[in-house]
Amino acid sequence: MSTYLRQLAAIVRKDLVLEFRSKDRLVAMGAFAVLAAVLFNFSLDNASVRPRDVLAGLVWMTLVFGGLLGVGRTFHLEAEDDAFRGLMTSPAPKDAVYLAKVVVNFVLVYGLSVLALGVFSLFLAVDVGANLPGTLLVLALGALGFVALSTLFAAVSTGTTMGETLLPVLVFPLLLPMVVFGAGATGRLIAGRPFAEVAGNVRVLGAFAVAAVAAGAVLFRFVVEE
Amino acid sequence: MSTAGVRRGGTALTLIGLAGLIGLFWLSFFWVSTEVNQGVAQRIFYVHVPAAWTSFMAIGISALCSGVYLWLRDERLDRAALAAAEGGFVFATIVLVTGPLWGKIAWGTYWTWEPRLTLTLLLWFIFLGYFMVRGSTEDPEKGKRFAAVVALVGAIDIPFIHVSVLWFRSLHPQPVVAKAEGPTLPQDMLTTLLVGVLVFTVLFFGLFLMRYALEGLRAELQLRERRTSS
Repeated sequence: MSTYLRQLAAIVRKDLVLEFRSKDRLVAMGAFAVLAAVLFNFSLDNASVRPRDVLAGLVWMTLVFGGLLGVGRTFHLEAEDDAFRGLMTSPAPKDAVYLAKVVVNFVLVYGLSVLALGVFSLFLAVDVGANLPGTLLVLALGALGFVALSTLFAAVSTGTTMGETLLPVLVFPLLLPMVVFGAGATGRLIAGRPFAEVAGNVRVLGAFAVAAVAAGAVLFRFVVEE
Repeated sequence: MSTAGVRRGGTALTLIGLAGLIGLFWLSFFWVSTEVNQGVAQRIFYVHVPAAWTSFMAIGISALCSGVYLWLRDERLDRAALAAAEGGFVFATIVLVTGPLWGKIAWGTYWTWEPRLTLTLLLWFIFLGYFMVRGSTEDPEKGKRFAAVVALVGAIDIPFIHVSVLWFRSLHPQPVVAKAEGPTLPQDMLTTLLVGVLVFTVLFFGLFLMRYALEGLRAELQLRERRTSS
């Protein structure tokens, strides 16, 4: 088990170092969150829509679209110079590779969603401080479920001739539970409702994330086998 | 059973299903009594509900065959998964056409985010993803593996989608057949519905076997072409 964790940690470290040195996905996703907030601001008619009522939905849509932008490129760098073959022939089990990719993508997507929450709150002048720890927990569970599914399907779409264009078709239908319960819970927490009111949502989100990670860890080996 | 035998069985079942369909139409247009509140429009129910049942059975069969295919790598299981997915796609399309037609008259709007209609729409897109993945790989074997993963994850996700869409308030008629205290549907409507479910199931398996046999023949043809060319 300790070998397993060491292998997992080695891949996570490698990917995080690459990410923080190249900053490709970091910059792209961060800029996406801020620019999405700018465009959303000008797409809403402030006279008829109260920003507070739509903030949760906007944050979740930014998580989904911006997240897909980054997660879709999970295997690109390795696919370009065939480094993926090296990773696959390494002694690390396939599920450790998958879980490591999930951890790295989670760091990116959770960062994106927290940034989106902050920027939207700033630009649309909505106070999100009421239930901040609860809101951050809901976003974390949502981001975990999201990366679990989208990392698996990023591996699938990288192996097809369509590439990333295929990813939304595969992932969006499966994300509905996450968006329903996640955006619902976030909206209520921002509105200042007590956490107990959304405890049911949080449990379903957690169950969804666990099921998605488990399914991905089992099925990933069938996607990447040679 | 040989491919020719499967094809004959599929053709026979399809013909029985088509004959049953004529019978079902006769029952639902001339025999069954008209529903009091919705009038004649409610008769679309005898096509809508059996089609929905068949499309969800199809994703179940497709996911089951996909899972065992990933395990045993038997080409026949992949063919069965594909045949079930195509059948399910057709029947889900029937649900998505008849649902809004009925909804326009019963609820006054073509589309509502009603739980079961939403679930069927997403099921339709899961099937679409299944075919797109299969069609966009250079190596057919890879396409089969990818598609199997899509079918499996889709089938695992469907209960979650179901729970989440139910969470939204429902406009849809509440269940009238599968209830703890027994069906509340009048006897003649229940009979017509059950005939509909039976007919659609027979028709599905007929088409399923024909499609399965077609894939078998296609594989045989490829094998022969490879032999003659080498």
